[in-house]
Amino acid sequence: MTSSLEVRDVRKSYGKFVAVDGVSFAVPETGTIFGLLGPNGAGKTTTIRMIMDIIAPDSGEVFLFGRPRGPAELHRVGYLPEERGLYPKMNVVDQLLFLGEIHGRKRRDLLPAIHRWLERVDLAQWKKSKVEELSKGMQQKVQLIGTLLHEPELLILDEPFSGLDPINQELFRELFQEHRRQGRTVILSTHGMELAERMCDHIGLISRGKVILTGGLREIKRQVGGNAYRLVAEGDLDRVQELPGVEQAVVQDGVVKLLLRPDAEGPETLRRMVEFLRVHEFRSEEPELEQIFLKAVRDAA
Amino acid sequence: MRLDNIQIIARREYLQRIRSKGFWIGTVIFPLFAVAMTILPSVLLMRSGTTHKVVVVDDTGRVAANLSAKRPKTAPPEPRETVRLSKVDFIREVPQPDPKAQEAALDRRVVDKEIDAWIRITPEVLTGKPVEYHGRSTSNFMTQDILEDRLTEAVRRVRLTDAGFDPDKVGELSAQVPLRTIRVSKEGSRAEGGAGGFLFAYILFFMLFLSLLIWGQQVMNGILEEKGSRAVEVIISTVKPFELMMGKLSGICLVGLTQFGIWILTMVVLSAPGVVGAFGSMPDDLQIPVLNPLAAIQFVLFFILGFFVYASFYAALGAAFNSLQEAQQVAGTMGIIFAVPAMLMPMIINAPSSTLAVVSSLIPLFTPVLMPLRIVTEMPPAWQILASYALTGGFLVMMVWFCGRIYRVGILMYGKKPTIPELVRWVRYS
Repeated sequence: MTSSLEVRDVRKSYGKFVAVDGVSFAVPETGTIFGLLGPNGAGKTTTIRMIMDIIAPDSGEVFLFGRPRGPAELHRVGYLPEERGLYPKMNVVDQLLFLGEIHGRKRRDLLPAIHRWLERVDLAQWKKSKVEELSKGMQQKVQLIGTLLHEPELLILDEPFSGLDPINQELFRELFQEHRRQGRTVILSTHGMELAERMCDHIGLISRGKVILTGGLREIKRQVGGNAYRLVAEGDLDRVQELPGVEQAVVQDGVVKLLLRPDAEGPETLRRMVEFLRVHEFRSEEPELEQIFLKAVRDAA
Repeated sequence: MRLDNIQIIARREYLQRIRSKGFWIGTVIFPLFAVAMTILPSVLLMRSGTTHKVVVVDDTGRVAANLSAKRPKTAPPEPRETVRLSKVDFIREVPQPDPKAQEAALDRRVVDKEIDAWIRITPEVLTGKPVEYHGRSTSNFMTQDILEDRLTEAVRRVRLTDAGFDPDKVGELSAQVPLRTIRVSKEGSRAEGGAGGFLFAYILFFMLFLSLLIWGQQVMNGILEEKGSRAVEVIISTVKPFELMMGKLSGICLVGLTQFGIWILTMVVLSAPGVVGAFGSMPDDLQIPVLNPLAAIQFVLFFILGFFVYASFYAALGAAFNSLQEAQQVAGTMGIIFAVPAMLMPMIINAPSSTLAVVSSLIPLFTPVLMPLRIVTEMPPAWQILASYALTGGFLVMMVWFCGRIYRVGILMYGKKPTIPELVRWVRYS
C-alpha cells in the first residue's frame, strides 16, 4: 500500500541545536486521521514545515502520494500553518479566491464553492468584510476554508485547535471527520493528548526531534496495554508510585491511573497496596494516550 | 515557473493597493503639493511686490533720462518724474545747489520710510566710478540687480553718444547671432531643437528619480510587510520565490505607473487648451523640441524598465532586512547609485558615440537613463539598443531571482541569523 505521506530520516539543525533528528514515519493513504503528537518544542512544526517545502531539511526525503515531493504534489495538499496569517485589508471572498487561485483553481469554479463553505461555517454575512474586522475565531474559520477550498487529498494542519472555543473545536472536528469519511487523509499536530485520542486513528509521537512511537492507535494500545489499571482507594496514594513493578501512577481526583512494567503482575501489586490503602476498586483498562506518551518518553531517554 | 502565479500575486497586490485610501490620497495630494511648491512662491512674490522707491539725483542731467530706454531721447528731462521698472520706482529729483543739505534731507526721507533708497549719478560715473546706493536695506538684491542693469544700459548709451555713435544703431549692429541646429541622420536632415533632444532625457531621468523617491520605499515596505504577515507561509508552499517576488514587484510597480498615468493624463487635459492657444501666438522661428514617435515609445519602454530595475533594488533591501529602520538606512545611501548616470549625462551629450557612452549605456543600471539620451542625441546602432534591452531585462530577472532567494532565507529564519554555509545551501536549494 502506498502512503499519502512518507518522511524518511529527515534532519534539521539550527547551529548546535538539533530541532529534528532523523524523523521517519508514514501515513496510510486513505481515510486516516494521523496525529503528530508531542510536547511544545519537540520538532512538530519544523517537521511540518519541511514536509511543506517551506524550510529545507539538512538531509532526508519527503514523499507525497508515493512520489518525491514536487510542486504538483504540493498542490494536492491543504496546509494550515501554526502561525495563522491572512491579509488583514482584504475582504473574505477575495482572500479565499486568492488562496484558491494559487492552488491552481479557476475563479469561476471557486466562487460557488466559497459561498457554500461560508454558509456551512456560518460566515455568509461576513463575506464582504475585511479580515481585520473579524474576530480571531472567524479568521481561523476563514483560514480553514482556504485550506479546504481546493479539495486537497491530504490536509496538513499545524495545531488546528489552538485558540478555538469549544463550539468551533467541535465544528473543526466534524469537518476533519467528514474529510476522512470521503476517503481522504488528515495529518494534524497537537500537544493535546485527549483531543488526539478522540480523533486520531494513527499517531506519531515526537520528542526532542525523534519519533519515539508510531502506528495505529489501537495496536499501540494493545501492545502497551494489558498492564494498565484504574485504582480507586483511600490512604497515602503517593506511595503507590514507589511500589516495585509500578511504571507510572497518575493521581487525579482520588483516582489513580496505573501503568505496570511488563513483567509485573496486577494481583501482586494489589496485594501490596491493600497493606496501606483501603481499596474500593481495582480493574484492568485500556491505557490512555497520555500514559503511553509519558512512558514512551521515559523509555526513550 | 508559472506565469499565472505571477499574475495572481500581482493582481492581488495591485487591487489591494489601488483600493486603499492611501493611494488616492497620495495621488491627489502630491500634485497639489508640487503645484503649491512651484507656483506659490512666485504668486506670493507678485502679491508682496511692494515697489521700491528710489530717488535718482542726476548731476550729469543725461543718464537719468536713459533709465527708461523706451523714452525718446529728445524728450526734456522732467524735474520730478517716476519711471516704473518692474518693482522699482525711479523718482528723479534735480540736484540742489547745496549737495550736502540735499543728501542729508534724502537720508532723513529714507529713515522716515518715505523712500527706500537714493542714488547720485556724478559726472565721474561716466568715466568708470561706481554709483553709490544709500538705502535702508542693502540686501535687497532684486532691486539692486534691476538698478545695476538699468544704470549700466543708461550710462552705456551716454558714453556711446559722447563718442559720436548712435546707441540704437550700435545695439542693432551688435545683436547676437542665434544658432539653428539641424540634426543629420540616416532618415534625412531635419530642423530640431538642439537643446530639446536631451531635455527629454533629463525629464526622463527626473521622472525616474521622482517615481523612485515615492515608490522605492513602497516596494521595500511591501516586501518587508509580507515577511511580517505570516500569510506567506501558505503562499510559499505553492508558489516559487521568483514568482512571488516578480508578482509583488510587478503589482507595486504597476500601481506606481497607474499613479503616474493619472498625473500625466490630468496634466495633459488641464494644460491642453493653454498649449493649443500658445501655438497660435508663437513666433515662427521658435523651435519646439519634438520627440519622434519611435523615440517616444522607447522612452516609455525605458521608463518602465528603469522603474522595475531600480525598484528591484529596494525589493532586495526589503527582502534582506528584518526591520524598516535598518532597510531605510541603506536605502538612503543607495540613492547615490541612481545619481551616477546623471553625472555621466553631460559627457555623453558632448560625445554620444564615445567608448564611454557606449559602455556606460549598456550597463543595466545606467541603461534606462543613458540609452534614451543617446537616442535623442545621436541614434546608436540598432544592435546596441537591442542589446541594452536584453541586458537590462536579463539583469532584472536575475535581480528578482536573487531577491526571491534572499527573501526565502530571510522569511523563515525566525529571528536567527544564517551562517554563510546555510546561506549558500539556501540559495542553491530550489
